[in-house]
Amino acid sequence: MSSPGGTDDIEDMDPGLARARTELAWTRTAISFAAVGCALLRSHPAVGVPILALSPLIWKMGRLPGKRGTGHARTGQIRLITAVVTGVALAALVITLVTGW
Amino acid sequence: MTPAAGPAGPAGTPRPGEEREPDARFTFANERTFLAWSRTALALVVGGLAVAQLLPPFPGVPAARHVIGIPLILLGAAVAVLSYAEWQANQRALRRGEPLRRSRLPLFLAGTIAVIALLAVALATLSAVTGRR
Repeated sequence: MSSPGGTDDIEDMDPGLARARTELAWTRTAISFAAVGCALLRSHPAVGVPILALSPLIWKMGRLPGKRGTGHARTGQIRLITAVVTGVALAALVITLVTGW
Repeated sequence: MTPAAGPAGPAGTPRPGEEREPDARFTFANERTFLAWSRTALALVVGGLAVAQLLPPFPGVPAARHVIGIPLILLGAAVAVLSYAEWQANQRALRRGEPLRRSRLPLFLAGTIAVIALLAVALATLSAVTGRR
């Protein structure tokens, strides 16, 4: 894993820092979920607690395998995020339709 | 981002009709774009929830908070689903070495938010007129 100059170049191991940036994007997404969970914690704990619990799982899901990452499309993870965000939207819709009129 | 302009895939550009695993950087970039839209969707949902739950009631227009908040939540759900469709289409185009289509999400998002904003202005005006009595 040495570059021609003999030093370990981070660009060699992770071109464009694509892996690092992708893992950071997953971290931001996990933090977003944590924020949503916290916001709902007091008024609707039955919704807020599960969303808050999802946050570390989403962070874990974003970790890339191996030193270089395989670079294969991660369809399962992408589908799961779509389902979870849609689920949060539906929960928010139910909360809004039921309360506050 | 055009596959042909950037670094080639594992074995060059695929021939028409042929599918190859794209360069990992493109796959990662597509994934990050999807995640960014997902966070946008989440923010829209929370925004809609906040309007309906936290704003004081509009005098004279009791349903106003829901009329503003519910479309925001639905917009969030739509953005979540559309961003998945877009991720899938982009991934397919990358595998085939085809150019990526321009995203329609920014226009959709901007247009819908503008309509909801106008709705909010109309409701606030209505409340100011009718709620004074």
